[in-house]
Amino acid sequence: MVTFIVRRLIATVFLLVVVSMITYAVFFLIPRLAGQNSYQLATQYVGRNPTRAAVLDIEQKLGLNEPIWVQYGRFIRGLVFGEHYNSGTSSTYCPPPCFGYSFKSQLPVWPQMVSSLPVTISLAIGAAILWLVGGVTIGVISALKRGTLFDRFSMGIALAGVSLPIFFTGLLSLALFSYKWPIFPNVTFVPFTQNPLLWARNLVLPWVTLAFLYAALYARLTRAGMLETMSEDYIRTARAKGLPERTVIIKHGLRAALTPIITIFGLDLGALLGGAVITEHTFSLNGLGQFTILAIDNQDLPEILGVTMLAAFFIIIANLAVDILYAVVDPRVRH
Amino acid sequence: MPRRGFMGLAAAGAVAALALAACGGGSSSGGGSGGGSSSAPAGFNAAVTKVVNPSNKRTNGTIYFGNSSTPDSTDPGDTYYANMWNFSRLYTMPLMTYASTPGPGGLKVVPDLATAPGTVSDNGLTWTYHIKPNVKFEDGTTVTSQDVKYAVERTFDRSVLPLGPAYFPLLLAPQKPAYPGPYKDRSKNIMGLKAVQTPDATTIVFHLAHPFADFNYVTAIPQTAPVPPNKDTGTKYQLHPWSTGPYKFQSYQLNKQLTLVPNTFWNPATDPNAKQLVSKIVVTMNMNANDIDNRLLAGDLNVDMAGTGVQAAARAKILSSNSLKASSDDPITGFLWYAYLNTVVPPMNNVHCRMAIEYAANKTNLQTAYGGPVAGGQIASTVSPPNVVGHKAFDLYEATTKPGGDIAKAKEQLKLCGQPNGFTTGIAYRSDRPKEVAAATALQQALSQAGIHTSLHGYPAGTYYANFAGVPKYVHQHDLGIDFGGWAPDWPDGYGFFDFISAGNTIGAAGNTNIEELNDPVVNNLLAKYGTTTDEATRNSYTAQIDMQIMKDAGILPEVYAKSLLYRNPNLTNVYVQPYYGMYNYAVLGLKS
Repeated sequence: MVTFIVRRLIATVFLLVVVSMITYAVFFLIPRLAGQNSYQLATQYVGRNPTRAAVLDIEQKLGLNEPIWVQYGRFIRGLVFGEHYNSGTSSTYCPPPCFGYSFKSQLPVWPQMVSSLPVTISLAIGAAILWLVGGVTIGVISALKRGTLFDRFSMGIALAGVSLPIFFTGLLSLALFSYKWPIFPNVTFVPFTQNPLLWARNLVLPWVTLAFLYAALYARLTRAGMLETMSEDYIRTARAKGLPERTVIIKHGLRAALTPIITIFGLDLGALLGGAVITEHTFSLNGLGQFTILAIDNQDLPEILGVTMLAAFFIIIANLAVDILYAVVDPRVRH
Repeated sequence: MPRRGFMGLAAAGAVAALALAACGGGSSSGGGSGGGSSSAPAGFNAAVTKVVNPSNKRTNGTIYFGNSSTPDSTDPGDTYYANMWNFSRLYTMPLMTYASTPGPGGLKVVPDLATAPGTVSDNGLTWTYHIKPNVKFEDGTTVTSQDVKYAVERTFDRSVLPLGPAYFPLLLAPQKPAYPGPYKDRSKNIMGLKAVQTPDATTIVFHLAHPFADFNYVTAIPQTAPVPPNKDTGTKYQLHPWSTGPYKFQSYQLNKQLTLVPNTFWNPATDPNAKQLVSKIVVTMNMNANDIDNRLLAGDLNVDMAGTGVQAAARAKILSSNSLKASSDDPITGFLWYAYLNTVVPPMNNVHCRMAIEYAANKTNLQTAYGGPVAGGQIASTVSPPNVVGHKAFDLYEATTKPGGDIAKAKEQLKLCGQPNGFTTGIAYRSDRPKEVAAATALQQALSQAGIHTSLHGYPAGTYYANFAGVPKYVHQHDLGIDFGGWAPDWPDGYGFFDFISAGNTIGAAGNTNIEELNDPVVNNLLAKYGTTTDEATRNSYTAQIDMQIMKDAGILPEVYAKSLLYRNPNLTNVYVQPYYGMYNYAVLGLKS
């Protein structure tokens, strides 16, 4: 097992290096190949009507005039060892993993991403719990009560959940429960450490909206998995042995049906931790998703690169966790 | 040109933020449409010409601002957004500022930290200001002229503060070696800018490279707000600028949330242009624009900080409800949407070909493309909007009398141009701005009726000026005879408006703002005289003359004087449209309860 984990960790590091090379090339190499020189790039970050000296100053400060491999090497060095930046009056140390220096905000990228993380983590974890519990429960009940009114109704709702985009359900929930009937007014992120109740109250609508989409998907997947599993021979055998129905369903049926759910859950959670862009935008929550939108709006390449790397990191780590869980559940995977 | 700055800088929302203001006449529907119909409720446009809910009552309430974007910077030395120039008056006092009053009076530049407007020497090269003696920073220390000098010095280092205007390095007398800014200055006291002198603690003297009659306007830019050298943290100063205004920073999570609380050392007697009426101001940034509108209408938010008007959904709600409409305003912002008609690209180097475009353009369709008469703007027939000091209305190309275009006259001009069957050229526009895309398409359709065939070339807004429309070589190589743009001045007079977009000496190799590449000696001469003339009437006459000459040259196709529909939270006090900013004056707001 330890060998398996070590092997996977090494592969993870390798994968992250590859992702960093690709994303760095996309944002810094391709513009050059398309004919943009470092001077033109610097012009975008020096305000209006700059003098040539001012552009050259910025070009040098951001290191845009150096060969691309030197710039990439500096980026990697910052990731591993951190980096010092001149704020004008002093030198500021950006600890690892320092994702570079924002061209627009004139500050290191990593601290800005860190300040966005609590929002995204709160949103993703809360919604994930809701959709996992809700989706799986509904899926199991629907499978066991196949063909009943409950089954049809819940699957109908699930179909709606899968079909309706978050920017619709989110706006609808805001219109109803925030603007018209202010049960959850002023949806604003409040840190958990500052006021846990307000933290939860303000996240209820985003959680429910986000969970509605995913729960629907998980309910349908769970139902399909349960229907297949419950028709297996070993379930019949378990029943024939006289095991209680609850044990048959939970221990033998659900456990087997959950295997694909775990895979998808890992991917979904990893992707969400990289920024629930639409949900955060709809509810004006300043998490990584909003950070990403802002970075794109500002064409702030280091910020875009940083958030891309972080999102990739979350997905890779989530996959790693899923693989390890698999290995625990199914020894064949270790080989 | 903060507002113009908008061109290169920001996202669409912030962009519009650069808009100026209406010179009091914002309620007029001019140009054939507008929000001010005879059936409009009484409160509609009330804040354009007067103060709504005037009050000096102080409450323990909180004013909540929402911003669909983020500031370029909260550092007064590093910002070019109009909404930040407006907002920064809550925590800064530049030497001069705009009078806190609605209507045309709000275009007047008045002393803020200074005791009076600058006095200029006979040769026009030396400007002297005296600052109020008892203005305090938020820690109780007294502001001195050296703090103002240091603030000006900071603007010389564009590698640390790249975003603000660069007027001081351009206008002040040069020194050798060139002054590098305080962060690279090796002189002992880091106060080495020789062109600015501080003979005593309350006097500051600026020595210019050449006479510049608009210098009082330049000192109204937040860059003259004092900065204590020992509190300057360079790029991090934006996280806590040292306050001299009615409020100070309590906390700022960059680009997320800013909280201001009263500055206990602020004295209303020394700052008549601002008020301290609430116990807290909270700005939430990077919000969904529609969410901001809904929260405004629900009363959960008090002010939309962008100041560029509500979105389409809220606009429909407001305009269909008399009660909501009574709490809204539709001012002319001072921003002009237009197209540069390049004077170098053949055959548009012939003025008659450009005149043909002026006649053939369907102004009504262009107005619709920009959002219609309420949210888009009033059809324009001049380059300067009505709220530029000295503006004079005229209409050389029937923009208002035949807004659908005059194809017959366009064809006459084509004959004079030697292109009786029309010609082909390219249209450049910002492809990530839906209104501009629609306008480019509308213009293409209108011109085709006169035989002028155009190809559309969309570019990203972020690099539009740096790499494409603002690069003459690129424009020539790609035959971009028509280039869309938008503009508002850094200060509301003719020089401020025209210099960057029409002076021959501003044509640059990249980041060019005189995209029509106009180099008309008449315009150049008038601008040169404008820069050295102090007589108000003469200066105003130059505004109209320059405007007329550019239109005679057909160097610019004016489209609309931009307007925006603003919603006024009924719980706010002292609400009015500050004419220069084209948005509510943030420095004086209070709450009823």
